[in-house]
Amino acid sequence: MTAATPGFVKLLSITFVLAIAVYMLVPLIVVIASSLSTSQFLVFPPPGFSLRWYTEVFNSDAYLSAGWTSLKLALFTVAASVALGTPAAIALSRFRFPGRSFLSAIFLSPLLLPSLIFAIGLLIVFSRYGDGPSLTGLVIGHTVITLPYVIRTVSANLIDMDPHLDEAARIMGARWWQRYLLVILPQCRTGMAAGAFFAFNISFDDAVIALFMRAPNVETLPMRIYSTLEFSPDPSVAAVSTIMILLTIFMVLLLDRIFGLSKIA
Amino acid sequence: MASASRSTNREPAFLLTPGLFFLIIAFFFPTFLLLAQSVLTVGPDAGELTLEHYQKAFADSFYAGVAFRTLRLALLITLICLLIGFPLAIIISRASRIVRSLLILMIVLPLMTSVVIRTFGWLVILGQGGVLSWVLQALGLVDGTVSLMRTEAGIVIAMVQVLLPFMVLTTLGNLNQMSPSLEEAARVMGAGFFRSIWHVTLPMSAPGLASGAVLVFALSISSFITPSLVGGVRLPVIASSIYQQMTGSFDWGFGAALSVLLLGATLVLMVPYLIATGRLGGRS
Amino acid sequence: MTQLVVQSVVKRFGKQTVLNAFDLEVAKGEFVALLGPSGCGKSTLLRIIAGLETPSSGDIVINGRVVTGLPPEMRNIALMFQSYALLPHLSVLENVRFPLRMRSQASRAEQERRAHDALALVQLDQFTERYPRQLSGGQQQRVALARSIVAEPDLLLLDEPLSNLDARLREDMQIELKRLHETLGLTTIFVTHDQDEALALADTVILMNGGRVEQRGAPEELYGQPRTEFAADFLGGANILELEVVRRGDVLMGLFPEGSEVELQKSDGLEPGARKFMLRKEAISLAPDTEMATLAASIETQNYLGSQTRSLVRAGGLALVAVTDPVSAKSKARDLRIGWRPKDLIPLTS
Repeated sequence: MTAATPGFVKLLSITFVLAIAVYMLVPLIVVIASSLSTSQFLVFPPPGFSLRWYTEVFNSDAYLSAGWTSLKLALFTVAASVALGTPAAIALSRFRFPGRSFLSAIFLSPLLLPSLIFAIGLLIVFSRYGDGPSLTGLVIGHTVITLPYVIRTVSANLIDMDPHLDEAARIMGARWWQRYLLVILPQCRTGMAAGAFFAFNISFDDAVIALFMRAPNVETLPMRIYSTLEFSPDPSVAAVSTIMILLTIFMVLLLDRIFGLSKIA
Repeated sequence: MASASRSTNREPAFLLTPGLFFLIIAFFFPTFLLLAQSVLTVGPDAGELTLEHYQKAFADSFYAGVAFRTLRLALLITLICLLIGFPLAIIISRASRIVRSLLILMIVLPLMTSVVIRTFGWLVILGQGGVLSWVLQALGLVDGTVSLMRTEAGIVIAMVQVLLPFMVLTTLGNLNQMSPSLEEAARVMGAGFFRSIWHVTLPMSAPGLASGAVLVFALSISSFITPSLVGGVRLPVIASSIYQQMTGSFDWGFGAALSVLLLGATLVLMVPYLIATGRLGGRS
Repeated sequence: MTQLVVQSVVKRFGKQTVLNAFDLEVAKGEFVALLGPSGCGKSTLLRIIAGLETPSSGDIVINGRVVTGLPPEMRNIALMFQSYALLPHLSVLENVRFPLRMRSQASRAEQERRAHDALALVQLDQFTERYPRQLSGGQQQRVALARSIVAEPDLLLLDEPLSNLDARLREDMQIELKRLHETLGLTTIFVTHDQDEALALADTVILMNGGRVEQRGAPEELYGQPRTEFAADFLGGANILELEVVRRGDVLMGLFPEGSEVELQKSDGLEPGARKFMLRKEAISLAPDTEMATLAASIETQNYLGSQTRSLVRAGGLALVAVTDPVSAKSKARDLRIGWRPKDLIPLTS
């Protein structure tokens, strides 16, 4: 294939890819660079190097409590999403029954609806039938939007599974709980892990649902960053953002390790 | 034997029920309530059927302008994503293993970073005294500072970066299923490099490009974080107007009506696409 | 007249050398099989001839023109892929017309007429408006074949042309390919790992091993007179006997491990000392006549195969496989004499 590609096309491709790489990565790089600035303001180039904004972040109650809220929210979301998504994925990929493709579409439908619209619906529900938005409301909202990811990764995992493993286990005398515990769930491990990473990442990064479901005492990191950007951005936002970027890099690399990034495509 | 097969039949139901129950309560019910809210009155005589929210949306030329801006930007963003995403996906699909992993990383890493943070990056780049201004000055292309903040160009530049990964990944998924021997066959049959792309690669990746375009368009008409922060209050889009209604003026009926109109615009695009893919249905 | 010259072509992928100073000449109208196990470099050679890979060094000359640096579309060749590579979004007729369309040969009507003719040649002209996915595997293959011959290429390349078909269809296609070659006289090179296919189709078989030519020749020559153990084993499989060659006066004898001796046919380079020999399974007779070299043997086990019976015999301390007709294999005592014509025991060079 490469042999038949004209030389000037190769040259053009390299230039194009480098330009896109700059375009895709520069927004992240400038955030990291700004966080290391000595200046009060977000100016380029930064006048000097300092870590003072990181000290500021770690001494700020607002950021620390937002970080804690985000972490709790993401962990609860992961737990709920994996707990609900794994059995559904097993049912959808291991069994043939009438209405299977319809149900499959139902389970993936939160991907199709803009999350903004769903967030408003959820806001209405929580205001009308409860005491208004809360952390629980956010967990529910995030579980809805992350569920399709868990179902997808676990299903992808199960497609590779030898369909006779389960039958073999039966013939060897395994009861239903033994089959799930000892045969099926171990087969889903990497899919569950990958789904959990996606769920964590989506929940930890989400601002849309969080902003609509804004509750008086609940503020996540993306919400805090958003409102700071609206009013008075300073390099401490950059410092928090940098920490979140590093966390994302770590998670992406981990995801690549356990699942293979090429499978995402 | 009979009892075994009956238990097999019950298994999927058992496995699906918790998730299904959750989705009905937490997803379908809220979505239904939103639809309902758009045709119900609010205030003291709440709960009556009404079309006043829609009338308000259509009567006010301000919202027509907002809708027009939203659609125009979304079309432009989708078009640019197509033009960049298709060649990029082709290059990625043909790159060597290591280069391909690096390029996918370059696409996935921004995708997995919070939209708020990416938009923050664009504020630093596009703003007064930002990176762009500095680079242009250093190159001697402008004197004084430039800013693309509060411009539609700025929104488009930032939004394409946010949404390009969706286009590239869907197209790439399609290209990966295509056998490389198809293009090779075209070359052997006398098609040059670009003609083989035009006659073989493009038609073969049309489903991926179409779903990428639908996805990018749908995400772009409903996104509000990037347009609100880059465009500011002077360049409102539908989504930021809805946000304003729901959390600022608390006019839920009107906010819901705008949301339904937004949903309608998405569906208008989705349905023909779903029908088309259902008909084409096939891949190689 | 020479249609294709491959001139000391070398191909390296990283540190691995896939083709090592490979030379080949193919005459106009010749039907050549590149035969070899997977990884022998045969597919790489085909792709280099097609222009889909660039050789590390060496040249490709097609019809008197050096094409080494030319992209595939400038070579006027046809290649039928193992997967057929039919364009799924085009109809059968459009697929077959594609090479003419890309090369802008003739008017549209004329292109369509020629595509029709090509399809008629493979007996598929009733399916012109169908799409590839609506055809069976065998029909798809015929479309691919029609598409390969429609533009009258200087060279027709076939990559494992029959490997995706079941046994029945494969036989039909062998006849079809041979017939087409006889009708059109296209210079044809095909790659295969299946020795039956190579023997059945080609005028010349080129047996490849490790990026080099192991042996080239007419099918009968390769099967009958393999020069190496690899050639003997790859074409049809054979008994390989390691014997000690000893001189007994005027004649050379082969000494078996257990001490029995058989007479050897004189041939060039056959010297006393350890030597490997090939003996085809079907050359062994369980009822030897007087012109045969014979040996005491015992039958260990037999498999009935329908038209033949396969016997595992032990003779002179070696295990040999003999394939004979079922009648002569039946009712044989466990202990017997086996034999073969001296010319069938062929010395190999290692």
